[in-house]
Amino acid sequence: MSARSFRLWRGDAQGGRYADYQLEVQPGMVVLDAVLQIQRTTAPDLAVRWNCKAAKCGSCSAEVNGKPRLMCKTPLDMLPDDRPITVEPMRAFPIIRDLVTDVSWNYEVNKRIPPFTPKPDAVWSIGQEDVDRMAEFRKCIECFLCQDVCHVLRDHHLQSQYFGPRFMVRVASLEMHPLDTLDRTQLLSGEGGIGLCNITKCCTEVCPEHIKITDNAIIPLKERVVDSVYDPVPKLARALRKRLPLRIR
Amino acid sequence: MAASHDVLVVGAGLAGMRAAVEAVGLGADVALVSKVHPVRSHSGAAEGGINAALGNASPDSPEEHAYDTVKGSDYLGDQDAIEILCREAPGDVYQLENWGAVFSRTEDGRIAQRPFGAAGEPRTAFAADITGHVLVNVLYEQVVKRDIRVYEEVFVWKLVVEDGVCKGVICWDLLHGGLKAIAAKTVIVCTGGAGRLYVGTTNAYACTGDGMALALRAGVPLKDMEMMQFHPTTLAPSGVLITEACRGEGAYLLNADGERFLERYAPNAMELASRDVISRAAQTEIDEGRGVNGNVFLDLRHLGAENIFERLHGTRELAMTFVGVDPIEEPIPVRPGAHYHMGGIDVDVWGRTEVEGLYAAGECACVSVHGANRLGGNALMETITYGRRAGAHAADAAFGGTAAVVPASAIADAERELKTLLDRSDGERPWRIRDELGETMHENFGIFRREEQMIQQEEIVRGLRERYERVVVEDKGNLFNTDLTQALELGFLLELADCMVVAGLARKESRGAHARPYDYPDRDDANYMRHTMVRWVDGRPVLDWKPVAVTHWQPQERTY
Repeated sequence: MSARSFRLWRGDAQGGRYADYQLEVQPGMVVLDAVLQIQRTTAPDLAVRWNCKAAKCGSCSAEVNGKPRLMCKTPLDMLPDDRPITVEPMRAFPIIRDLVTDVSWNYEVNKRIPPFTPKPDAVWSIGQEDVDRMAEFRKCIECFLCQDVCHVLRDHHLQSQYFGPRFMVRVASLEMHPLDTLDRTQLLSGEGGIGLCNITKCCTEVCPEHIKITDNAIIPLKERVVDSVYDPVPKLARALRKRLPLRIR
Repeated sequence: MAASHDVLVVGAGLAGMRAAVEAVGLGADVALVSKVHPVRSHSGAAEGGINAALGNASPDSPEEHAYDTVKGSDYLGDQDAIEILCREAPGDVYQLENWGAVFSRTEDGRIAQRPFGAAGEPRTAFAADITGHVLVNVLYEQVVKRDIRVYEEVFVWKLVVEDGVCKGVICWDLLHGGLKAIAAKTVIVCTGGAGRLYVGTTNAYACTGDGMALALRAGVPLKDMEMMQFHPTTLAPSGVLITEACRGEGAYLLNADGERFLERYAPNAMELASRDVISRAAQTEIDEGRGVNGNVFLDLRHLGAENIFERLHGTRELAMTFVGVDPIEEPIPVRPGAHYHMGGIDVDVWGRTEVEGLYAAGECACVSVHGANRLGGNALMETITYGRRAGAHAADAAFGGTAAVVPASAIADAERELKTLLDRSDGERPWRIRDELGETMHENFGIFRREEQMIQQEEIVRGLRERYERVVVEDKGNLFNTDLTQALELGFLLELADCMVVAGLARKESRGAHARPYDYPDRDDANYMRHTMVRWVDGRPVLDWKPVAVTHWQPQERTY
């Protein structure tokens, strides 16, 4: 047992302040454990989202010592003990209360992406290599830390022009499904705003699932957009490849 | 105009979303209501896979799947319900694939299947070790595609039942505050489990048995509530799950001496025996001093780094994050933790409860497919198959007729009750009661059960319920008031604990997850091959029994 100091942002859409808390902590505790301990003992009205406590549900996103993190996946041991541990809400989204933000914009973006659409007579034979290519993108838990850190959204507030890294990952997972028949490149270059990403890789750095968002999702999608907008041959080749069953390829 | 739908699904995990998708496909006006955003549901934490006799890894059949499930259930599963599940499972898995679920593959491009505990054939389809997560996202895409209304972050507090018919729900809006009524011609409860009854559990914080308690209060009996499954491999202290797929891929369980101790408990199946058998073995090793700090060890090292990266990547990540162990280099310290409730709301094979218009599916329901012990990979399958069936029947039942209405008196009653709770300023905060409940359930109603401990636990729970009568909610606000919702959840948990202990005391035998080695070490088919049924009458649990449905398989001794 040892004492640690915490500084939590408390407030709502009208404004707020930092509040300090002291807590006896146990070895192995993560930031979420500490925040929930504060909530149950000294701050019953602390608003915070949480659920799985195992880095699977993406609920407990926050900025810990200024860095976007999952609270449940951040051991106290890894944070310097010579100063308070600061926990703030994600700054790219409107505040609801305390550590809870309004992330509903993301869910609205999600609805604008056409879903998986196979051919009605598709032959359901898929190679493991195709599965492997998509697997990384399917790991996304929608914690929106990438959206939080993306400077297009966070600093330039271009939510109306760019879907953000999370949804580049989602489009990549759909586009790389071998049996999907849609082409979402027009969407990406238009309202998706993929051109606004200038590949600083901030999103990749904060991803708790270690998805190589920039290298494996955004850059290949940018290439596809260039191909389809400026050069029809690769687009045609890919369309053919998608439509052939595995055995013939 | 208050909200009103044909079908209202409470809970938006796999069972709930599958039910909603089915009901909307049949032409019903459907809505989902959930206290968390759908993709944050606890279904997403399921790692290992989903069982269906596809026969892709070896010859297999629904009959073999059914037999394994009946035996796994320690002959407490209802065999008609099990046969339906096993027969319809393959079609349901292919349907998920057609919706975009990407399962891991065989070399010739079909869905791969891995061995799982107590399964005679490799039968578990999987998407690496994030199967639940992948399926949740696929079903959410189908929900969005169909434009199904989702009331998100809305906490359902009451079912409205009038003249024996379910009319809808009353709920608290977490984002904005305030009670609201949602009326529906049929309501499907799909709220998942109640692992939060225990201090060490794999379950998410949301798993507080809401739907079971709602149904109980509405007059529906809960079935086999004593049957709580302990998963053998969880991480201390918070109970993070380490998937059974590790053992499916060949991992060993070792004690402090480095011995594969299952040789002494399940010499044939070893690490792939059923969960109840392995949890008891691991707990015995720990109790008899052959553990380290209350743990045994799960050893993956011989599987090789490449295999671990490809098929158990998530497991490695969890072990490194939560206990600082890289399983490529070191064995993972693990202990049994509360994991899955085999018991739940008594329903028939269409998800119907005794109350007209009220349905249930998934973990909160008890059809019963799992009996006294669930096989790994059968829970996801149950959510899909029985979620679909409940959705179909509820949509059909809601067809025609006039729109449902929640009577104003029901809303007024709820408002009054809430005001009483929020006006109270002198009393006990809920968290101490919650902690005591979790610790004592673990101690007195855990893997091994003693008569005197269960009697003691009954008294403890009754005492906690009395204290709960004076519980104080300090946050009086409207915005994301989890102080309030956690207090309401605690009320649910306390009633469920009472039901569990009453059922556990009545079952004077050892069967599946209900192990009484000190007084009733054997299974007693003559007296107890039947379901416990607990009803809530005048504020307390009342026990009854119900026969097990037997179609083909007479009980036999169960060894692995």
